[in-house]
Amino acid sequence: MINIENYHRPSSISEAVQLLQQGEATIVAGGTDLTPQIEAGARQFESTLINIQRVEEMRGISVTSGRYRIGGLTTVTDILESTTLAADIPVLVEAADHFASPQIRNAATLAGNLCNASPAGDMCIPLLLLDAQVELVSWIDESVSTRRLALCDFFIGPGKTVLQKNELLTAVEFKQPVAGFSASFQKSGPRPALEISTVAMGFAGVLEAGVLRGVRIAIGAVAPTPLRATATELVLEGRSLNESAIAQAVEAVQEEVKPIDDVRASAWYRTHLSGVYIRRALALFQGVTAHAA
Amino acid sequence: MQLEIEIKFSLNGRMVQTKVPPTMTTLVMLRENFDLTGGKLACGEGECGACTVKIDDRTINSCLMFAVDCDGREVQTIEGLGGVAGLEIMQQAFVDHGAIQCGYCMPGMIMQARYVVDQNTDKSHQLSRDDIARGLEGNVCRCSGYTKVVDAVAAVILDEASA
Amino acid sequence: MSSIKMGKAIQTSPVFEKKTIIGQRVTKPDAPDKASGRTVYINDMVLPRMLFGKILHCDRVHAKIISIDTSAAKALAGVHAVLTGYDIPELKFGPTRDNRTLKAGKVRCIRDEVAAVAAESEQIAAEAIGLIKVEYEDLPPVFSPTEALKQGAPVVHEDHPDNRSLSYEFSHGDVAAAEVNSDIVIEHEFEVPYVTHCCMGPGCVIADFETNGKLTMYSQTQYPYNYKMDLAPAVGIHPGDIRVIQPPVGGAFGSKLDVYPFEPICALLSKAVGRPVKLTFSREEEFINSPTRQPAEFKIRSGVNKDGTLTFRSVDCLMNNGAYTSWGPTTPVIQMRTFTGHFRVPVVEYKGLAAYTNSVYAGSFRGYGNVQATFVTASVMDMLAEAVGMDPIAFRLKNAQKPGEVTPQGSKLDDCKLRECIEIAAEKTDFLKKYKLYAQDRVNAGRIKHGIGIATSIHNAGGAKIHKSDGCGSILKLDDYARATLITGASEIGQGIDAVLSQIVMEELGIPMSDITIVNNDTALGPWDVGVHASRTTFVTGNSALRAAKAARKQILRAAARQSNVSAEQMDLREGHVVQADNGVSIIKLDKLLRQMHFAEEPELVMVSEYYEPDSELEDKNHVGNLSATWAHGAYVAEVEVDTETGEVKVVKMTAVQDVGRVINRLGIEGQMEGGISVSLGYALSEQLQIKDGKVLNPNFRDYKVPTAPETPEIELHFVESDCKASPLGCKGIAELPAIIPAPAIANAVYNAIGVRFFAPPLTPEKVARALHDQVPDNTQ
Ligand SMILES: Cc1cc2nc3c(=O)[nH]c(=O)nc-3n(C[C@H](O)[C@H](O)[C@H](O)COP(=O)(O)OP(=O)(O)OC[C@H]3O[C@@H](n4cnc5c(N)ncnc54)[C@H](O)[C@@H]3O)c2cc1C
Ligand code: FES
Ligand code: FES
Repeated sequence: MINIENYHRPSSISEAVQLLQQGEATIVAGGTDLTPQIEAGARQFESTLINIQRVEEMRGISVTSGRYRIGGLTTVTDILESTTLAADIPVLVEAADHFASPQIRNAATLAGNLCNASPAGDMCIPLLLLDAQVELVSWIDESVSTRRLALCDFFIGPGKTVLQKNELLTAVEFKQPVAGFSASFQKSGPRPALEISTVAMGFAGVLEAGVLRGVRIAIGAVAPTPLRATATELVLEGRSLNESAIAQAVEAVQEEVKPIDDVRASAWYRTHLSGVYIRRALALFQGVTAHAA
Repeated sequence: MQLEIEIKFSLNGRMVQTKVPPTMTTLVMLRENFDLTGGKLACGEGECGACTVKIDDRTINSCLMFAVDCDGREVQTIEGLGGVAGLEIMQQAFVDHGAIQCGYCMPGMIMQARYVVDQNTDKSHQLSRDDIARGLEGNVCRCSGYTKVVDAVAAVILDEASA
Repeated sequence: MSSIKMGKAIQTSPVFEKKTIIGQRVTKPDAPDKASGRTVYINDMVLPRMLFGKILHCDRVHAKIISIDTSAAKALAGVHAVLTGYDIPELKFGPTRDNRTLKAGKVRCIRDEVAAVAAESEQIAAEAIGLIKVEYEDLPPVFSPTEALKQGAPVVHEDHPDNRSLSYEFSHGDVAAAEVNSDIVIEHEFEVPYVTHCCMGPGCVIADFETNGKLTMYSQTQYPYNYKMDLAPAVGIHPGDIRVIQPPVGGAFGSKLDVYPFEPICALLSKAVGRPVKLTFSREEEFINSPTRQPAEFKIRSGVNKDGTLTFRSVDCLMNNGAYTSWGPTTPVIQMRTFTGHFRVPVVEYKGLAAYTNSVYAGSFRGYGNVQATFVTASVMDMLAEAVGMDPIAFRLKNAQKPGEVTPQGSKLDDCKLRECIEIAAEKTDFLKKYKLYAQDRVNAGRIKHGIGIATSIHNAGGAKIHKSDGCGSILKLDDYARATLITGASEIGQGIDAVLSQIVMEELGIPMSDITIVNNDTALGPWDVGVHASRTTFVTGNSALRAAKAARKQILRAAARQSNVSAEQMDLREGHVVQADNGVSIIKLDKLLRQMHFAEEPELVMVSEYYEPDSELEDKNHVGNLSATWAHGAYVAEVEVDTETGEVKVVKMTAVQDVGRVINRLGIEGQMEGGISVSLGYALSEQLQIKDGKVLNPNFRDYKVPTAPETPEIELHFVESDCKASPLGCKGIAELPAIIPAPAIANAVYNAIGVRFFAPPLTPEKVARALHDQVPDNTQ
């Protein structure tokens, strides 16, 4: 058993990153990933705990000149209840609605979800569609230092990210999507939410003069990290949405996913579902864009 | 010597003070430091809701939240819902509708049910049975089969709407 | 209450109408405390000087124990005792005496207990467990019962070199001849999985050995009296020296009908430290170590004539016994009754065999073997109906028994309501119309397919005589204030027997429910009972309470008659008064009468004791005999939606029609049925304890999925009241059929929707999607 020697509760980003700089520490946010992992012995605490829950500047959703910023400590409930997001970026709200249970959503933070880097993490799916960036902050040379990174470059393996030990994920940012942008989120059931995704799929694009542009496909639980299905995106980019394009997309996505067999599902089923979901996503997209036209 | 942190918070409406190791969960603190055994450790993994308590204005799984983080907050447990005054209307509805069998899940279920109803501030939208069920999706009950649980919550919604 | 003037007399006496509480909606007396969080469950209990126990389970499935080093654990501060199988005598226990508490010599499955610790806190106990070093030498394991029965298979128990555990055989008539004479014969194989109870209160026990050698067990057991008998050999003391106290528990569902090693181990720890010791399972330990429902493989051959008459049924059941024997492999006793006696089958044959393996072992679980049997028979009934070109309703009605028939095993169907149940279920759901429509729609395009399916079953509803007595005792006393205390053998595990017993006392004695106390949690006080199982509690303990209440009533009325000019036969007890039965006029207040009786020259107290034994028979060695005082049928209809792309099955509605004899507590009976349906929904669609190479892969709610509120279908209940003659109360046992019948009704509905038959629950999305995919070879999705 690890003996915790220090417990800190910083109230600002600057304070938090200075503490991180002092040596190995475990960052605690909502604890919804951390506690079960510790209980199961899958992970051990460092001897210093840093509870970031009181860093108020890391909370909240804001928009400044077309750029959206969601603080790292924003909970999934905050996202679900955000009227701004519901109006502008409904795909984020949809993903939040398929997330765990109300109690977990009330505690689970966005940063925690991303930093935990589960291949089945749900919130990164819509964010990948939005070309989101993560803001990583550290204390270097006696001052706060910030770097921004595309979310798709953030994950490197199951539970692994490029986050350095002295870094804090303070926010996620993305640009206002272009006009006509339409996105969807699908997650395997049969439970509506309290279910670790067997497959989760996000799809986004714009219909321009009858052809698909800016296609984004993100898939959870089919690869070691949340997957941007770029090959499938290319198959669809610039195409008009006919049965042959759809069939090719299905084939491409089933080729592109690299799932494993585990207790929840076989690789076959995950591949199968990826095909089902891309077809549905395209049908949804067609429906929405046809309606808008 | 294990590190212990002194915390102060409002527990069921009264200020309390206690010392907790930084890794102790809120559930264990409530049960061990305050003898509030209403909330149960039924999974310890956030999957069953038997440990549901309200922190400020949100319900959470107290088996996952660290006790130190209660500092300065308002904590409400099932014992504080009706309190010495007797059963609160949601508790009474669960009794009257026969929702309670072994009852092990019920402290958490009732806390969540109260929250679900209170959360719906939009009076123009009355929660449907499906809305209620979704609000309780994080609470497992192996005895009741949920029908009477949803009955009880629906009845409270009707009652409170007409009040 | 109202008053009438009596003749010319000036004095008015209150008048009370006859009211009945039987059949009403009655809330549970324990519910307010449970709703308020006040109830102290066994898991919440703390005794003075209590220590905490923990068990080291092995991480092997079949291995020799070479050495166990407990020195570091013993040296840890706060540790009071460390025990291994080498510190205690080899005390065998279990239904076939093949288990022991702490293992020595070798381990046979992942559950095996190799050491135990008692310490000052749970954390210290856990730390000490981590310090125990065990050296093993692995032995070749065997996991499948088929493999285990082969020549040369690894031997699990040296005294059973062929790995054969329990076996059962029953036959009636000449199967070979019946087969030749049948127009159609079909044969199928089914396989049912490991599932587990998921009681919300994890396993917990507190053992307290007193200085005088007597043992008090605070236990979750649901059969406290026989528990003493079963626990004694494991601890090495006399059953009479054990007192069992049953604090409130978080569910049981059959999982606490046997003694499991953690309980005697806790007792041995208490003995070793001379203090109370509490042992609690974590959820993970609970998933791995608590008994499961019995998994099994079935081969079933059935015959039918073109006119739809069943000709024969022949069943082979192979059970994975696991490493030790609990009640799981004894479930054929009940299961056989369904195979041989559900619907009129003139020729039947059943063979059941359990083979030892290095897998985990099964106990009893709500439905006791009939869950498995009904999944098989209800599926096969639909297949046979299709084979002869009949609809599922007509085919069942053609073969349904009539009242008074006796099954080949001797189950007496005196007041059989099978036909009524089927007819009502069909009518209320508009079954035939939907069934035909959905079947026709299968060929059409469309992502969502609808289906409707029916299943029926029979279950013992008047107890089950598996012990020499299936009875229950009741002691009833009234005090000077007309408050009653019923001391009963019945166990309350949440199912609501306290409410039912209170109703019965209230009905006979005319006192309010709030004036009745039920005492039922201490074997030192309560009279004997077999336990909560076999849907027997309301039937047996209710009829026992009824006898006691009637005896008390008789004594009261006799005393009242002595001092009035009205005879006892013309009196009634209503609302705390002795009244004239015909007009309800009060003769005397009950409490006043009781005091008069108490302080009379020849004083008498009202305190009666009664024992009720249901009219049932032990089976003979050929498995023949009327095992239960009565039998009940049910017919359930499931309506489903199948997503043909993802394979997700949604149960939209469940209509349940069941013979309940007579409704006692309407609220309680509804709750039992809704809860049972939920458990069966899990069995049908999502629940399976995944065990690979003897290890449990999904010991958590994340991956072992029990139904939650959003998955719960609309439920419609219809009670058929046969007013059972074998039951003085008129009621039948009801609580298992709801956990038995829904699953095959769902499977039949899925067949109706997509034309695919599933022979192995659960029908997970993947399984359904796979089956649909395999059906369409050229599937581009
Ligand atoms: C019952 C249950 C159901 C769940 N269902 C879902 C689901 O449907 N979908 C899903 O995606 N997830 C699910 N989860 C996982 C979990 O709830 C989420 O991943 C959650 O968002 C984690 O956030 P947290 O604040 O609780 O993180 P914590 O547990 O506090 O932290 C998680 C990890 O991130 C690190 N960390 C946290 N914040 C920061 C930061 N700002 N900077 C750097 N590192 C940080 C921590 O050190 C830790 O390693 C579920 C969990 C449970 C228990
Ligand atoms: S005990 Fe907290 S969710 Fe189960
Ligand atoms: S009432 Fe028993 S678990 Fe809900």
